[in-house]
Amino acid sequence: MSHIHIPDGVLPLWLWAGGWAVTLVAVALAGHLSSRADMRRKVPLLGVVSALMLVAMSSEIVPIAYHINLTVVAGVLLGPFLSAIAAFVVAVVLAMLGHGGVTVIGLNTLIVTAEMVLGWALFHSLVRALGRGRVRLSAAAATLVTLAITTTALVGIVWLGGEAATARETGALDPEQLRFENPLSSGVFSVGLFSSDEDHGQGEEAGEAEHAEETAGLSIGRFATVVYTLGPIGWVIEALVTALVLGYVARVRPTLVFVGALAEHRRSIPGDEAGGL
Amino acid sequence: MDIGAIDASATLGRSWLHAASPVAKLVAFALVLAAVIVNWNVLVVGSMTLLLAAAVASAGLKSRLAFGLAAYPALFALVFALASAPDAMTGTVIVLKAASAGLAAVIVALTTPYPQVFAPLQRVVPSIVGDAMLMTYRSTFLLLEKFSNLLTAVRLRSGVSARQPVRAGRATAQALGGLLLYSFDLSQRDYDIMRLRGYQDRIRAKPARSERPLADVAVVAFAVLALATSALWRLRADALNPYSWLVPIVPAFVLLAAIVFGRRGDR
Repeated sequence: MSHIHIPDGVLPLWLWAGGWAVTLVAVALAGHLSSRADMRRKVPLLGVVSALMLVAMSSEIVPIAYHINLTVVAGVLLGPFLSAIAAFVVAVVLAMLGHGGVTVIGLNTLIVTAEMVLGWALFHSLVRALGRGRVRLSAAAATLVTLAITTTALVGIVWLGGEAATARETGALDPEQLRFENPLSSGVFSVGLFSSDEDHGQGEEAGEAEHAEETAGLSIGRFATVVYTLGPIGWVIEALVTALVLGYVARVRPTLVFVGALAEHRRSIPGDEAGGL
Repeated sequence: MDIGAIDASATLGRSWLHAASPVAKLVAFALVLAAVIVNWNVLVVGSMTLLLAAAVASAGLKSRLAFGLAAYPALFALVFALASAPDAMTGTVIVLKAASAGLAAVIVALTTPYPQVFAPLQRVVPSIVGDAMLMTYRSTFLLLEKFSNLLTAVRLRSGVSARQPVRAGRATAQALGGLLLYSFDLSQRDYDIMRLRGYQDRIRAKPARSERPLADVAVVAFAVLALATSALWRLRADALNPYSWLVPIVPAFVLLAAIVFGRRGDR
């Protein structure tokens, strides 16, 4: 499902702050592990793979109006440690362009990282089981399973947030409460701020509003139904594109797919598109 | 998502928002975000959208670009709201929250060059993450141009059309594969160039100083006002909600004034 398109302020504080905390620990750990000299040369690689995901997210497949994510492709190429960093970078850049909330950067990073790492693990397991001749099948199956799992994780996150939303007092406006009169004459600013609601004869209204707030919450059942109805269409498209892209790269430069971008560094000779294999 | 237009606006613009320091804009962005987060009153959140629209108009930013970018998260929020909101009012607030937060982020992006946005972040994240952010932005332009050229070539050579979705999909995916290989070669060349120029541990982006301190004060003051209003209406919702209709009046006038003076300035 790649990234959560939930606006800022919808999920409860403990959930998104928790996502941020786990993400910062994961990124710090990945950053520490990648501080070795042989990893420094992967900074440009990290940049281009992250950029590739951004380009894919901003380009629709002709003629189907759907944006792909290439998370499994990026995971296969980068491996687990660099995947966490790439996911964080992509989530930050998307948030700074208004594409996704800032508070959900942590949760987005975790979802995208899970997608990349799961995709990487499943793809390599399937290639080992089915053989290198079945790259497309392995890639498609890995993508489908990965997206099904991460979509369920997304529904789980909304379920956690929705349950919390039902319990908290939100201060939402009830249109029936609106009073189109001068607030100074009714003393709201001089008395209302520092005295109880009953002084203004609003006790009943406040009680009703409170009751409405207690019963209001995100409808997880409806959300899950929509996600699991529309989601599989996206999974199939993403699986097909991932299979075609990885199949193409496996034909042209197999080491990238089977060994990964962190393999022993080797320059490709211009004109030798097979990478010397 | 036209990243080229965003970068052109950020680097070539000369408005009062461009003149404010990146740190002030990021602080203001955080405050507006907090204001969006704490309040669930549709009129208060809607007022923040109006105030941000006024900022867009007063700075003379391209309205189609700014509102188009902000509409993207709002559209996804609409889907989320339709799928999960318990009533129309909550759904409207969810969409307005997305529009406000998106618009705030877009204003920062359209008025601040990307390296300056990430310069403060570079200080707190591991060096590899900070470097990767800068490299990602640079690479995005190169890859977008390359991908656009590749798609043109694919259209010309294989006649991609809506009538042949399988063929179109395969051609597009192979173009992406080609782009992937190109990006790997690009990363190798980049690393060689960076080493030659002395890259060892970190790419340093020097934070820009404010060109107009008054603009810094104005940006932060507006954001503090938004947060104070939002927090006050949340803390004293029972007493203040009946008078919520008062809140949008000020931003509406500010927006009107920004549009009028903005048009006069264009003449």
